[in-house]
Amino acid sequence: MKKAILLFSLVWTALAGAVETGEIRMLLEALALERVEDQEATLETLAESGDEYVTAFVDAWRVGEVREYQPEGSELFLVQEVSGKYVRVATGEPIELSSEAYEALDKNRAPRKLRRLLTRVTDTIGLASRNVDTRVDAALKLGASQNAEYLPELRKRFEAETNARAKRAFEEAIMISLLANAESPEERIEAVKRLGQLHSIRAKDKILAIVESSKEAGDEALLVAAESASRAIADHEELLKHAGSFFRGLSTGSVLLMVSFGLAITFGLMGIINMAHGEFIAIGGYTCFVVQGYFSNWFGEGSPAFQWFFWVSLPVSFVVAGGIGYLLEKGFFRFLYKRPLESLLATWGLSMVMRQAFRLKFGAANVQVANPDLLLGNFEYAGISMSYARLFAIAFAGFVCVLTWLLLTKTNLGLYIRAVMQNRNMASSLGIPVKRVNSMTFAFGCGLAAMAGAVLTQIGNVGPTMGQAYIVDSFMVVVVGGVGNLLGAGISAMGIGVFDQFLQPLFGPVMGKIIVLGMIILFLQWKPGGIFPTKSRSMDD
Amino acid sequence: MKDVKKLTLGLASAAALFSSSLLAEDTVKVGVLHSLSGTMAISETSLRDILLFTFDEINASGGVLGKKIEPVVVDGASDWPTFAEKAEQLLAQDKVAATFGCWTSVSRKFVLPVYEKYNGLLFYPVQYEGEELSPNIFYTAEAVGQQAIPAVDFLLEEGYTKFYLIGTDYVYPQTTNLVLFEYLKSKGIPEENIGGGLRKENGEVISAGKYTPFSHTDYQQIVADIKSFAAGGDAAVLNTINGDSNVSFFKEIAASGLTADDCPIVSYSLSEDEFRSLPTSDLVGHLGCWTYFMSLDTPANKKFVKNFQKWLKTKAPSSVQKEGRVTCSPMVLSYNGVYLWKAAVERAGTFETSAVIKELEKGISFDGPGGTVTTQENHHLTKNVYIGEILEDGQFEILESFDNVYGEPFLKGTFK
Repeated sequence: MKKAILLFSLVWTALAGAVETGEIRMLLEALALERVEDQEATLETLAESGDEYVTAFVDAWRVGEVREYQPEGSELFLVQEVSGKYVRVATGEPIELSSEAYEALDKNRAPRKLRRLLTRVTDTIGLASRNVDTRVDAALKLGASQNAEYLPELRKRFEAETNARAKRAFEEAIMISLLANAESPEERIEAVKRLGQLHSIRAKDKILAIVESSKEAGDEALLVAAESASRAIADHEELLKHAGSFFRGLSTGSVLLMVSFGLAITFGLMGIINMAHGEFIAIGGYTCFVVQGYFSNWFGEGSPAFQWFFWVSLPVSFVVAGGIGYLLEKGFFRFLYKRPLESLLATWGLSMVMRQAFRLKFGAANVQVANPDLLLGNFEYAGISMSYARLFAIAFAGFVCVLTWLLLTKTNLGLYIRAVMQNRNMASSLGIPVKRVNSMTFAFGCGLAAMAGAVLTQIGNVGPTMGQAYIVDSFMVVVVGGVGNLLGAGISAMGIGVFDQFLQPLFGPVMGKIIVLGMIILFLQWKPGGIFPTKSRSMDD
Repeated sequence: MKDVKKLTLGLASAAALFSSSLLAEDTVKVGVLHSLSGTMAISETSLRDILLFTFDEINASGGVLGKKIEPVVVDGASDWPTFAEKAEQLLAQDKVAATFGCWTSVSRKFVLPVYEKYNGLLFYPVQYEGEELSPNIFYTAEAVGQQAIPAVDFLLEEGYTKFYLIGTDYVYPQTTNLVLFEYLKSKGIPEENIGGGLRKENGEVISAGKYTPFSHTDYQQIVADIKSFAAGGDAAVLNTINGDSNVSFFKEIAASGLTADDCPIVSYSLSEDEFRSLPTSDLVGHLGCWTYFMSLDTPANKKFVKNFQKWLKTKAPSSVQKEGRVTCSPMVLSYNGVYLWKAAVERAGTFETSAVIKELEKGISFDGPGGTVTTQENHHLTKNVYIGEILEDGQFEILESFDNVYGEPFLKGTFK
């Protein structure tokens, strides 16, 4: 993205007039190397230029992607990488450098104070950006600074703006600025009223301050306006909080559903108390890490092909964990089918063995899995925002449900599975290969757990104990939903998720969780079989 | 049963006899009490490593009072009663001259009565909440006034006016945040500008800030709260979350679109060593505050880092991880502790605990990698405090330093 902006700005500035950009580039290099005399004037020039290269440079500068280079017999200058090539900052001309030599160069970094000054510059430039998000962001920041200098520019942009969201942002910014810079009391009251209508959460603190100050000053008209505006904003904020809680609940619920769906099959359908379920989730996380390593070796981390590692690792983790699950079923779980108590202990032991195996192979510390570009950032609608990674988790949970439903109802294997689960002996006597069905079902459950683990790399951490964080929740979801019922697992996951998110703001995360657990205990007292109790299991054995 | 006990006792004493006859008189036993297994092992193993390095360094230059240091390494196993048990073993059985150990405050609280009972000496190296002073413990750690408060001062200076408090639900974050709450109020920050929520009992604030349990993973709600808290601008987050919950927290923050420029986060429990297992790209631009940074550009620090790396390559035992190692504040404070103990022993001319403590209380200075540290009568250290910004390579760029900050453990209720 950053590179795209850079490239774009290079092309654009080349068209718009190379001379000016050349000057800006020189100024930036001088600024970075502390060779300018009047910093303030330089910043002014940069802001007035409106050149998006400034933004691109500042972004690269802050993350250490601008290096100092001094070839023999020449003075020190700055180099940066632009789409795989090395370029001199001041002139834009390419520099011959090997990537090893580039990596060895000293990084030139923006000092914090200067960077804070530069945000004003980049925000001013951002007002004219072609990207709506950048415009919105820049306008609101400049508005929040309440600096009267920016008012004319904001007004001009507001008039010219055609995008509804950006227009609204410009208006909000102007009004926030007017709270401090209004020319007449009437204008100020008008701004307060308008901000109330706009439900501006950004202006909340400032309007509250006006409520206080107008109370002291005895300004009736302003006080009335400010009070009603702050009420309107507070109401809107409350509404957003509830709507947001609902969506966040869906997201928490879908994470729960994802991690527990595999268990709903192995424990719910097959009746194996698998304490090592969490470790199959961890297998997914580690598979994702290993696949990432291969992709980084093959394509290099900057390449577009590297982005695919995550999507590839989803099926791979299903296959890997499914294979391990298959082998373990044949060599381990098979002997535990009619001994639930022993299986509790044995699988707990298995979970410890697996955790230690992760430690030996990958180390005790967490490993890092990158986010593919597609899952970075967040989606915002009407003030409620949710990260793409979490939206993907919701979609993925839905996908897993559909996949499992299709498998169980539309395939022969699904028919066999249902037959075996309803009555093992009867199914066997009808010629269904019970042993094979058991192995396949178990492998499928493990595969689902691992896919969940792969998705979790995008929102949580990957370490040897990552499975432990989810094992209790998984059992909780399956038991509440009704052992043996997949629809029940879905409903209970979503229910627990939404309850959890609604209780959190009221009682805090710790107390919220305790209340959820308490409610589950009461619920199970009332309905010991869960939401959808299974009746056919009594026929078995 | 009795026989078994007798037998082990016999074996132990035989072993002790054997080793003491072999090494007779020219060694002194020193305890290392850290978790080498369990959840805390990730952090505490590094402290064991740095202690072994320090002992080797001292032994190579002649030891203490002419005696070589013989470390007795025991495993607290991230289990607090085990810490107390192992402490008792070190003091009663091995009769160590001093112990270097503990990370979590709760482990320190468990071993404290043991050290007081046997009149032992413990050096504690990790930032903590204060409100404690044992005659048998030396706190080389950062007190709240040497970490949390300078960071707040820095933010106030930069013009931040709203502060959101968040932490893991246990004694260190709870106490620290209460002190910070009082401090912020004393600086004129109104209650409604301190985010995270307050819990009051009989009109008195008993808990400030938002808390999550250990290994919490779902930070959606909290980040949404922070986002609306920070919407008006000039807001910062003071983060005392411990352990790998930080990964989920920072991933959620990064996804929410809040940048370090909009709302910087100061993390009190994240040092260079923790960055090895965190996504540093999500942390760039946020802040940290410690009494040592690996990036300190002083000859003493450069030498220290170089010697440690060399030791890892040449002398370190095989159980020590050798790749990608960094140094951090708790490690340096452990290192300083050993040298302070050595200096005190040499001044006292004996390993006897009471005499050594007396010397330490008189004030001993040591030029460590983070600058000069001086022991105080109240068992804390005067030392330099640094504020740094996190870089993408997991190092800090130092923004500001405060020289010779006095270590004061009792801050609660002192800010009016």
